[in-house]
Amino acid sequence: MQKQTYIYRSFERFWHWSQALLIFFLMLTGFEVHSSFKVFGFENAVKWHNIAAWAFLILIIFAIFWHFVTGEWKQYIPTVKYLKEQVQFYISGIFKGYPHPTNKTRYNKLNPLQRLTYLGLKLLVIPVQVITGFIYMYFIYPNNQFSIGGIEGIALIHTAGAFALIIFVVVHVYLTTTGHSVTASISAMITGWEVVDVDEKEEHLKHMQEAVDKSAAGYYQLDKDGVFVDTNDAWLELYGYNRDEIIGKHCSVTREEKHVKELEGFIARVLKGEKIIGKPVVRKGKNGLTGKHILSANPVIENDEIIGVEGFILDITEFDDNAQQMYSAVRNSNAGYYRLNSQGYFTDVNKAWLDMYKLGSKDEIIGRHFSLCRDTKDLKALQDIVDQVMSGKTISNKIATRKCKDDSVGKHILSANPVFENDQIIGMEGFILDITSLDE
Amino acid sequence: MQNNKRNRAIKSIVLFAIIVIPWIIVFIATDKISKSNIAEEIKIIDYKKDTLIRQADHKKFEILQQDFAGPEEVTAACISCHNERHKEIMNSSHWSWDREVVRENGETIRIGKHNVVNNFCIATNTNTWKCTSCHIGYGYKDDDFDFSDAEKIDCIVCHDKTGTYEKQPLGSGYPVEEKRKFAKKTYFPPDYNYIAKNIGTPKNENCGTCHFYGGGGDNVKHGDLSSDLYHADKEMDVHMDEGEDGNGMSCVDCHDTERHKIPGKSYSVSNVKDDFSCEKCHESTPHKNITLNNHTNKIACQTCHIPVYAKGVATNTYWDWSTAGRVDKMGKQIKEYDSLGNVTYKSAKGNYEWGTNLEPEYVWFNGTASNYVYGDIIEDTTIAVQINKLNGSYEDENSKIIPVKVHRGKQIFDTENKMLIIPHVYGHSDSAYHHGLDWDISSKVGMDYAGLPYSGNYSFISTEMYWPINHMVSPTDKSVSCTECHSQDSKLKDLTGFYLIGRDRSKLLDTLGVLFIILSFLGVSIHAGIRFMSRKKS
Repeated sequence: MQKQTYIYRSFERFWHWSQALLIFFLMLTGFEVHSSFKVFGFENAVKWHNIAAWAFLILIIFAIFWHFVTGEWKQYIPTVKYLKEQVQFYISGIFKGYPHPTNKTRYNKLNPLQRLTYLGLKLLVIPVQVITGFIYMYFIYPNNQFSIGGIEGIALIHTAGAFALIIFVVVHVYLTTTGHSVTASISAMITGWEVVDVDEKEEHLKHMQEAVDKSAAGYYQLDKDGVFVDTNDAWLELYGYNRDEIIGKHCSVTREEKHVKELEGFIARVLKGEKIIGKPVVRKGKNGLTGKHILSANPVIENDEIIGVEGFILDITEFDDNAQQMYSAVRNSNAGYYRLNSQGYFTDVNKAWLDMYKLGSKDEIIGRHFSLCRDTKDLKALQDIVDQVMSGKTISNKIATRKCKDDSVGKHILSANPVFENDQIIGMEGFILDITSLDE
Repeated sequence: MQNNKRNRAIKSIVLFAIIVIPWIIVFIATDKISKSNIAEEIKIIDYKKDTLIRQADHKKFEILQQDFAGPEEVTAACISCHNERHKEIMNSSHWSWDREVVRENGETIRIGKHNVVNNFCIATNTNTWKCTSCHIGYGYKDDDFDFSDAEKIDCIVCHDKTGTYEKQPLGSGYPVEEKRKFAKKTYFPPDYNYIAKNIGTPKNENCGTCHFYGGGGDNVKHGDLSSDLYHADKEMDVHMDEGEDGNGMSCVDCHDTERHKIPGKSYSVSNVKDDFSCEKCHESTPHKNITLNNHTNKIACQTCHIPVYAKGVATNTYWDWSTAGRVDKMGKQIKEYDSLGNVTYKSAKGNYEWGTNLEPEYVWFNGTASNYVYGDIIEDTTIAVQINKLNGSYEDENSKIIPVKVHRGKQIFDTENKMLIIPHVYGHSDSAYHHGLDWDISSKVGMDYAGLPYSGNYSFISTEMYWPINHMVSPTDKSVSCTECHSQDSKLKDLTGFYLIGRDRSKLLDTLGVLFIILSFLGVSIHAGIRFMSRKKS
């Protein structure tokens, strides 16, 4: 699967191109000082070489800061994993049209060969050039306090470093042409965006994780003893708690005394391996805040052992009167998950969602537009929701009529929230809970 | 989607603007700054021109109203008032023509004109009577001269303001007593009364009459001291420029004298350092540009600011005694000239070469020299004898690169005793080479007088004499430019032993560097070619 991904952030691009310009300029002025050719005139070349050196030093300081603050430095940790494969790709695989042996992602944007080369540049070549360069500038004369006897050794190291950088630039520029298209890598370094191969499973997991975090549906997890180990923001909002106030507390604090038994019953069932789907319950929040929600719960399994309970809650306080009906309506349903990209095409759904739409597999829907999911008369409503969410709104519970694969219709409650990446909305996602039986 | 694309395009443009615009701004700004600097005034530390009015009018002194019978009477009159000044003079090297030095072997001796050799007329010795026409005394004919006789001091050669006083060429320091002609020039007896009433601080002419004519003619010896400095323009010398906005400085403005102690000395007769330098008035870091200021650690001011010397009158660059002695068919001595009127051959002296607007040669110099002193053994006769080797090296922290006129020649030397011969050159007897053209006799007489051995076997050996170039400072825009030294055909190409940026490189490193660049280009081209071909196939 290929996906347009935001790989290079704006500072990174600024740093890269400034560095490229500076290295080119330093090369030009430096080799003029070396009297290899004449461009600016010797005096100007010296002056500009020195100024560029300072500019480079400042840029390096900013870049170091950036790398540590963002944690991007970890991308340069060298590895031999796939190193052989990467070399083999460049010397043979590329001619046979094989794919790159490693996937570029936002979190792993450098292949093992790049990691090694760039780390060498950052830790060896550039520091050596900077240090010898500044010695050149200040410590060259024998009667200086910091005498080094002569400049010859320094000069030769500096020259050797310059040659190394030129060779790097030649190969580096060439290798940028080996991306998905000849200019893909360069334009990625300009715009920040690049089409990269993504691992479908990994992406789905990531989506689900993100969805849980950002969803309008509340998520919770309990351990075997019924103590909270995790909740998401939506859950905390429904209950009015801070995270610190609830983690480590027993779940009984979330119920009126009369409902505690019911909750403990659910937990006992789930711990035995059962799934609870769509139970309407009454919650007790902080400071006596109460409300109703539909609850799902399933066991948390690790190493074939049930270690806890997790599930979602969707608020139905507004539908108070219909609570009982809704209960029956959704009792056999599960929460369906979907994700759209910024253009409104499906990028991910889960099994429950497919079941509700009566679809056999993901392939039938991924890459399709959301308009497929509605009858023409209902499309306008969905378009409104999508527009709102894409402009930053979160929709927590809308009742919608879906059009299934066999042209039958169904009803569900829908939640939707925007998906952010680097402060940009790149799509939307949410959950649906089936309420078709409510009408019947 | 459309919006997104446009946004990205705008972002890319902004990104490049952020990178490129500061550069453009800095480029323009520094360009403007460097242009506005041109009119900047040169900062001077403590130069003050002497504009004080005279403290006493010598015309009114009674003792100067007399008719002086001879120059010694003038001196006596001077001393009658300035009754301590003669002691200062008699302590100076202008009088003694030597000074005490410690030689490299640790020996402390006095060296001076009486025991060093030069690369022109060779040495004083038996010829002293002729050389001393430039001594600031009267009657320094030979070693018997009484250096304690104050009345023999010639005050007026330095202090005459009338321009009428002149010593005669062969008078051992005396002016003529009656009208006399030497070569093409007529000398008149001085009007001592008139001169004595018009004395003062030395003018350029007082100094120049001797210092511009060393070696027996205008600019022969120094190369940077000639009669051109009497009426210098800016191009000739920025300090002595007589023009309307010129500095109009005189010799003593820099050679600023207290109690007859005159700073500055010539390494032709001296080997000790004095603290006389440009930094007396200029800072040691006078440039705006830090890089240029760094240069002053190792480069003397003169090196860049005196790009050429002998800007007017030609200077002698080569004197080959070995060809002397050729006469015409009649047995008469001959003279030959080049198209510019410079003598190129004299029977009595050998071959000459001359030059104007010469580029100096460059050497490391720490302010000390090693002079060849009478009787010094020549260790290696295969290389040129160093008449006054200037000491210094890159490693020596007191050394700087200075510009020099290297005067080359050939002198007679004793092949057995391995020492330079001090011949008897001037005189009317046949034993004077000038007259008899017989090396053997003049060598014998000269060496006898000097108290040195002479084996009777002689030959000629190459010699080199160094004349530091300190005068004829050019305007800033004529200074030596960066690439005159920092380039492959550097002015300093003979000054090896250190890494000079732009001149030096490791041939191996450069070759390997270029080779690897070519290989990397070749490599990616082949790689790209195979990619292209294989894509076509598939």
